[in-house]
Amino acid sequence: MNQAIRELQSLESLSKEDRWVNNLHPLVKLFVTALFLVLTVSFDKYNLAGLLSMAVYPLVTFTIADLSFADALKRLRYVLPIVCVVGIFNPFFDRDIVMQVGSLAVSGGVLSMLTLMGKAILTVLAGYLLIATTSMERICLGLRMLHVPSLLVTEILLIYRYLTVLLKETRRVTNSYALRAPGQKGIHISAWGSLAGLLLLRSMDRAERLYESMQIRGFHGEFYTGRQESMKKADWIYLAVWTAVLCALRFLPLTAVLGGWIA
Amino acid sequence: MSHIHINLDHVTFSYGKGQPVLNDLCLSAAEHDSIGIIGANGVGKSTLLKLLVGLELPDQGEIRIEEIPLKKQTLQKIREKIGYVFQDSESQLFMTTVEEDVAFAPRNYGLPEEEVSRRVDAALKRVHIEHLKGKSIYRLSGGEKKLVSIATILSMTPDIILMDEPSVALDPQNRRNLIHIIREFEHLKMIASHDLDFIWDTCERTILMNDGRIVWDGPTEEIMRNEKLLTENGLELPLSLSRR
Repeated sequence: MNQAIRELQSLESLSKEDRWVNNLHPLVKLFVTALFLVLTVSFDKYNLAGLLSMAVYPLVTFTIADLSFADALKRLRYVLPIVCVVGIFNPFFDRDIVMQVGSLAVSGGVLSMLTLMGKAILTVLAGYLLIATTSMERICLGLRMLHVPSLLVTEILLIYRYLTVLLKETRRVTNSYALRAPGQKGIHISAWGSLAGLLLLRSMDRAERLYESMQIRGFHGEFYTGRQESMKKADWIYLAVWTAVLCALRFLPLTAVLGGWIA
Repeated sequence: MSHIHINLDHVTFSYGKGQPVLNDLCLSAAEHDSIGIIGANGVGKSTLLKLLVGLELPDQGEIRIEEIPLKKQTLQKIREKIGYVFQDSESQLFMTTVEEDVAFAPRNYGLPEEEVSRRVDAALKRVHIEHLKGKSIYRLSGGEKKLVSIATILSMTPDIILMDEPSVALDPQNRRNLIHIIREFEHLKMIASHDLDFIWDTCERTILMNDGRIVWDGPTEEIMRNEKLLTENGLELPLSLSRR
């Protein structure tokens, strides 16, 4: 639990660092991420080679944003295996051989499974890159600029805030349990129900107090970040370059051309 | 003559359908009053403060803040005048950095960004925590959180400050610092606390509550020396007196 809270905090600190990628307009990063997601998932289920070319985006962004790829993998260690489960049954249903790698025959099911896994990993990495370089407040500011309803944006922000509240309450409850159950590994199943109920009530109580605190400080449904952001030259360049690169990777037969050159 | 800032007229309040937490309470407070609210656990001190800021509305009776009757329609106007410091500072802070949290209220009131920035700096300076400006809320100690939560209300430049157990979690130096801050605040302040020494240091007038009612209302000095009255109402003499 402590680890989860620390990870969340360090991710938030990361997003607030003074680096040029972090300082780009949130709308630009939102757009590039959304474009990347749409284009990535639009690849054909057998087009693994084309999909792999989309890895250029996370690789370049990790480099220019000076983010650690190892840290990202560490933070995503629980998510990645889950997303990799996507398509795990494909090899059983689609057994037709679609390609040969040396002496190894690759079935359509295996290829589509790998493509699905690739899509899942790339999209998760893109999401990670967005939140590692843009604070939640700025993401929400971008969403508001896109005229996403303030109610929805506020919901997103509050859920994000309550995540920490929930984690901290869980830590309190589990610490309190562990201190009175020395030598016991984890929480005994008999206590799960009462602890879950307690956790719910306590986090509701905390959430209520947080909301009260917002209310008495004039909150009426709209978050103001105070940053009057307008698009700068760097934002336009970033947007134009990535739009061009991603569209080229998706729509031009780059892998075929590259393959032809190598051959 | 200073005019009445807060007026409670026969206020009764209960949570749900239970026993009244506040029972037929009458109280008035003037512009420059510094009022301590004392009493044993569960006598209604925190509930009284919550009613004054409109987090709860009375079942009976009327509350007026600067002549404005407290009701749903007037809450926003009233809350602009009142700063409320929660007992649990962790519940009061929700933005990611100290600066953003202190700027939250001025931004909500639609102030220009230069004014917001000026108020944030002034509030942080007033509680001597300028060095915490860019710090993440998660990385603050308990005492720092308390001071930041006070700064968050000072940035609203309120006419009235309400504080619920402000001295909890403060080390002696920060406690002394807070006493100075409260003394410097020239407008009406109401402080609910079990810390009688703190009340003695900060308030000229004290209200003793028991069972949702006001048992005694008068000069702090007088009640702090009245051991019989304090004991009858579940309290003891302030530590500074009992040691003598």
